[in-house]
Amino acid sequence: MKLGMFNHVSNFSSAYWHNELAPPQSRRVAEHLNACSRCRAEFETVKLGSRFAEQLELVSAPEFLWPRIAAGLNVNAVPSVRFKFLKPLAIAATLVLLVGGGLFLLLPRRVDPQTGWPVIRLGGTPRIGSQSVSDKSRLGIGQWLETDSGSRAKLDVANIGNVEIDPNTRVRLLQSSDSEQRLELARGRLSARISAPPKLFFVNTPSGVAEDLGCAYTLEVDDAGNSHLRVTLGWVALQLRERESVVPAGAACVTRPGIGPGTPYFEDASETFRSALSQFDFPADQLSQSSALEIVTREARPRDAMTLFYLLTRVNGSERALVYDRMATLVPPPESVTREGMLNLNPQMMERWQGKLGLTWGRKVDKAAKTWKRIWSAALGELKGLQGKR
Amino acid sequence: MLMLDQIVATQEPPRSNESIDWRVITRCQQGDRDALRALFESYKDRVYSIARYSLGGDEQLASDVTQQVFIKLMTRIGQFRGDSEFGTWLYRLVVNTCRDEQRKQRRWVPLADSVFMTATVKQTQTGQYASKELARHVQRALGELKPKLRWPILLRYVEGLSYEEIGKVLGCSKGTVASRLNRGHTALSRKLGHLRDQLGPE
Repeated sequence: MKLGMFNHVSNFSSAYWHNELAPPQSRRVAEHLNACSRCRAEFETVKLGSRFAEQLELVSAPEFLWPRIAAGLNVNAVPSVRFKFLKPLAIAATLVLLVGGGLFLLLPRRVDPQTGWPVIRLGGTPRIGSQSVSDKSRLGIGQWLETDSGSRAKLDVANIGNVEIDPNTRVRLLQSSDSEQRLELARGRLSARISAPPKLFFVNTPSGVAEDLGCAYTLEVDDAGNSHLRVTLGWVALQLRERESVVPAGAACVTRPGIGPGTPYFEDASETFRSALSQFDFPADQLSQSSALEIVTREARPRDAMTLFYLLTRVNGSERALVYDRMATLVPPPESVTREGMLNLNPQMMERWQGKLGLTWGRKVDKAAKTWKRIWSAALGELKGLQGKR
Repeated sequence: MLMLDQIVATQEPPRSNESIDWRVITRCQQGDRDALRALFESYKDRVYSIARYSLGGDEQLASDVTQQVFIKLMTRIGQFRGDSEFGTWLYRLVVNTCRDEQRKQRRWVPLADSVFMTATVKQTQTGQYASKELARHVQRALGELKPKLRWPILLRYVEGLSYEEIGKVLGCSKGTVASRLNRGHTALSRKLGHLRDQLGPE
């Protein structure tokens, strides 16, 4: 790092602040800063940025990581470094794989219903039907994959993502086609990461259907058929008949057999809020539902306006007014949205406020889904054209 | 008078690297799982933190990347000859794995939850909560920086590396690191300046 005799020194502010300059340079910067108000102001700006950066704290890694790494090492056996003579062979094999892989990628992909999705064993002895999962196992349509308390597996979802199956889980492949990939989760827990157009990947549970809108999520089903969805990226829609909840990243939602999805909530909401919301969604009686709603509105933070927005459409009369008034306090509606209009669930006003809240599901997601599908269709068309020319 | 006293005021990196016993590395190179476990315990929080901050705070993705890093470490440690510090070699692995994951994530539907972030700040009640909120804002602002400005900040403030070490990890000169940190600090200051009151005394 060179420093000219008469130059401004603002480019050296960070290095100076971090004591990364050689002593003569550091002294020259200090002398210049004393004399030059412009460089001094820029130095203060850098210092402020540095103080903000110091807020980045070390985060503790989750406890479950080591068992996963150990399991991963069992799958990816550690190569020996002694077989150096294999290097040229490996390079040749890599070239063959690259050429072959390139040709494979140019082919339009479709999972053969007879062969299903590839299954990778992550630990223990997962089973497909009565057979243990081997290195070349595939889950065919209609087949059950089951893990016990010591086993885990991963499903490769037709090149659009993957699903990790946790211990004590039972899943079945229901459909695998260009327009729909569908699993059934009877019990246990899975984690899905899907990179595909929305509304292509679905998971059926005993109390509703999880519909992917471009996302990553964890879905758990207990022995009673209740499910618990936690979204870590994107959006997931939970449906049962006419009842639907669209859950954004950072939020969760519970479903009950015969009732369907409850109201989505952000996971960092208070325990009181979440508990009251559960009582509201799945009440023991009418009275407890009303008192639960009061607690929910009282405990809501601005971020919980997402939950309140759902509740607006799920309550009537004075309860809707209660929810509206709390929402309006937490996140004031746009000017064109009136109390009367919202109490009547005016669709245009609902959409305007929804937009302000950043709850961009519905029309926008549909539009995004159509755009994705158009891009995919065009890409597949081009690939098919290329294939035809070969 | 400004700063002559700062010439001698040492700005220590926030966290220093532990020196790793060569015997542990050698045992790892021989496929010893216990040795890998020792390395994992020494570095897991730092690897996880940098993955999490560089991947927009996504805990699951950060866990996946941390897992990948240590599996890669075990499969590639035979290539480590000690030409550089072990930490430099490991952080290069971390940076490359995060970059690969970021490339994959670009295919995903982008999201915005800035309304919720803004709204949440207004609720700040206690000092501890304010501190967490501030850290979230810093994380958000960091995520908006170009990767070439973000990486030096992460390596400096999360890993506590010197400019020279950062240059080795990122494959650039010490001068480039200084310049990028300067720009990164300035950008953070401009994005977060309105929150300076939450920083507390210097």
